[in-house]
Amino acid sequence: MSSSAKEVENLIAQEYTQGFVTKIEVETFPPGLDEDVIAKLSKIKNEPEFMLEYRLKAYRHWLTMDSPDWAQLNIEPIDYQAISYYSAPKKDSDKPQSLDEVDPELLDTYKKLGIPLDEQERLAGVAVDAVFDSVSVATTFKGKLKDAGVIFCPISEALQEYPELVKQYLGTVVPEGDNFFAALNAAVFTDGSFVYIPKGVRCPMELSTYFRINAANTGQFERTLIIADEDSHVSYLEGCTAPMRDENQLHAAVVELIAMDNAEIKYSTVQNWYPGDENGVGGIYNFVTKRAECRGHNSKVSWTQVETGSAITWKYPSCVLLGDNSVGEFYSVALTNNYQQADTGTKMIHIGKNTKSTIISKGISAGKAQNTYRGLVKVGKGAENARNYTQCDSLLVGDKCGAHTFPYVEVKQPSAQVEHEATTSKISEDQLFFCQQRGLSAEDAVSMIVNGFCKEVFKELPMEFAVEAQALLGISLEGSVG
Amino acid sequence: MTSHYIAEYEKTADLLPGQSIAWLKALRADALTHFSENGFPSLREEEWRYTNVSAIEKKLFLPQLTAQTAETDDAFFNDYRLEGALTVVLINGRYSKQHSSLEGLDEDISVLSMTDALAQNPDLIEQYLSKAVSIEEHSFVAFNAAWFSDGLFIHIPAKKVVDKPIQLLHVVTQGDCLSTIRNILVVDEMAEVNVIETFVGVDNAYLTASVTEVFVAQNACLTLHKMQIEGDKAYHFGGTYVKQARNARFNHHNFAFGGLLARNDMHTDLDTASECDLNGLYLGIKRQHIDNHTRINHLKPHAISRELYKGVLNQRSRGVFQGMVYVAEDAQKTDSAMNNRNLLLSNDAEADTKPQLEIYADDVKCAHGVTVGQLEEKSIFYLQARCIDEETARNMLTFAFANEMVDKVKLDGLREKLLEQLLKRFPQVSVDKAWL
Repeated sequence: MSSSAKEVENLIAQEYTQGFVTKIEVETFPPGLDEDVIAKLSKIKNEPEFMLEYRLKAYRHWLTMDSPDWAQLNIEPIDYQAISYYSAPKKDSDKPQSLDEVDPELLDTYKKLGIPLDEQERLAGVAVDAVFDSVSVATTFKGKLKDAGVIFCPISEALQEYPELVKQYLGTVVPEGDNFFAALNAAVFTDGSFVYIPKGVRCPMELSTYFRINAANTGQFERTLIIADEDSHVSYLEGCTAPMRDENQLHAAVVELIAMDNAEIKYSTVQNWYPGDENGVGGIYNFVTKRAECRGHNSKVSWTQVETGSAITWKYPSCVLLGDNSVGEFYSVALTNNYQQADTGTKMIHIGKNTKSTIISKGISAGKAQNTYRGLVKVGKGAENARNYTQCDSLLVGDKCGAHTFPYVEVKQPSAQVEHEATTSKISEDQLFFCQQRGLSAEDAVSMIVNGFCKEVFKELPMEFAVEAQALLGISLEGSVG
Repeated sequence: MTSHYIAEYEKTADLLPGQSIAWLKALRADALTHFSENGFPSLREEEWRYTNVSAIEKKLFLPQLTAQTAETDDAFFNDYRLEGALTVVLINGRYSKQHSSLEGLDEDISVLSMTDALAQNPDLIEQYLSKAVSIEEHSFVAFNAAWFSDGLFIHIPAKKVVDKPIQLLHVVTQGDCLSTIRNILVVDEMAEVNVIETFVGVDNAYLTASVTEVFVAQNACLTLHKMQIEGDKAYHFGGTYVKQARNARFNHHNFAFGGLLARNDMHTDLDTASECDLNGLYLGIKRQHIDNHTRINHLKPHAISRELYKGVLNQRSRGVFQGMVYVAEDAQKTDSAMNNRNLLLSNDAEADTKPQLEIYADDVKCAHGVTVGQLEEKSIFYLQARCIDEETARNMLTFAFANEMVDKVKLDGLREKLLEQLLKRFPQVSVDKAWL
């Protein structure tokens, strides 16, 4: 136990390890946003005509909208004209064809982050698409995936090579005017991942995207679109980090998932954007719209998220259960420490018959942080035999933090069964005493109890991610124990 | 947004009680300004997102302050009188002395109409009026403060245990009537009392807007019952706002049976080691819309709150439950449990529920649970296996589900009346009063 105690101690003493800045030549737009900027952006990306129209439509809609203020969040007003909407490593003029052509500085960055980009780490068996500031820098395992018929590439590339496919699905789950941040994203998104799994294919490996904000004064707006055609299966991972800076940076992403008949998508996120320092200075504003549509019968979408970073998290991965017998799942651990604020949860919209959803949400609040679960379970008139089970537990560490639960349940179908349970408590003295009596230090005991509290969610994560998530919890709880 | 109720206000203002009292006049003026700026709550307000009150704005309900209540046929509401209780009758928002029965009232207890209380002791009323709820709470409260034409004032002195329950019987006898009442209940230290609010009315459309402010002093205990059996087309807003002192105990039994659109607010502020127990039952039939809104503020340590609201929704009815438990920063050792259970019986019924926890203290035990569903198949099977046909089995189980809340009422006379109402709303041949 002593060696692991040391590990925990190390973890607790650790600061945000991904907080370095990579000195790399970048091409950045001057701050500001208007139709010209969007046109320029679209031109740089060499996008098809329909994209520019799509972006401008979203931008015009965005101008008419107000930033949402209903969340339990205290957000400093954001000056959208002070943000640069494009930043890319300069040597992008001719896109890297293979890893050898990628700027070694960049590869170093990813190596520091522990991303298996290079050959040696390919043994990890995860196909990675890495997005650095605004552009996708490298995608591994392309060939192997292509053999299986899977398309996995940056969305900018997909727009060049499969414009019809993108046009068919883009914005069908999250329309361009869906909400303030989704509209902004639709107008200015620069890159992201595109995944298409053809009929009957089980994706041979886990797909993964790594997001990194590097440049100052930029926002990151990425867009992910995943389509799982009939009888297919895919598991997708997403991770994020950013350097430590005193000012707040904006991250407004949109993720759209589409599952056809009998298809299954598993989407896992470990979000570790820079959370700001212990006085609440700096950190990423993370405003993300994630939505999945189970369009086919027997389709399934599972969201798993571990949210430890960001100064502010505003995120509600949702499932629209259209197809009969479709299943939506949401597993979440949200940890806030110091001055972090999180308002996160899910929406489960039951439309098809015999649809099922499960929501397991674990919130941990420490320091002076505020952690909110906000969720909606809606059962439409036609959703016969719909079933939902929701469990939201909150753990409070310290007496200056807050934990809130705001579930909404709307049922219009008498054969539906909806259950919601929530509890809020602190780590029980009995449990702590039990552990300490058996020779564990207070820190070890807390770490162990917190990990136990989150176990239900961690077991949903792919192996490598589960290990990373557990380690992250230790780091993020730093200073809140004892 | 100006409401046509503002225009009407000028005509009636002089008839409202306490117009010669400066502080009350100022309060009413503030409230009217607040109401005229905001109008009735809209669906865009989070606390009103499931309840659309625009129908009230479309109609014009007017107070009947000059009408004589002498000829009122009391047979129509005598059924709702509680035997052995002290009864104060308010008809169309005005105190009716001849219908009230306050015989046997101890001298040290005050049970007065608000008009009389304002005339006799305005300084005392000033200590309480608008102190448990401010006019900023929402527009209905402001509306009530501006318009209230009467109400009930109860003051129980310290250490007094009142053996007879006190009933407020609110009656509306005319269609298109606006009845706005403001009640104040003050229970001093170590006193104990049972109070019943009963709302009944005619079958035409009318609007009741009632606000009750409750002050439970240290170690005192108040059990408040609300039996809302408004007419089929009635609009009802009823708000109860409670301030509990140290170790005070407050029990609430809320039965929402009537009205086309009924909204009930129940807010309580808990001091150190005080306790509250909130119970509710809402039965929806036809096109009824019943909204229950509760808020429990744990402001100090060691307080305990329990809450259980049940809904049975049939035909085209819609039931709403919004419950908030707020735990302030220094309210350590809070113990709170909230539950809402809904039974949906028809394809056109709807249940919307939103339990909420807002917690700023760490050493707390808070839980809430919500279910929306139907009767358990296993229970039905169990009864069927014992030679009870399916329909009867369903009726029995539905009745039992609702009756749990009625059973919690300790006043025998009131429980009988509630049971009667329950059976009336779910005419179930097989559920016989005799075997209960």
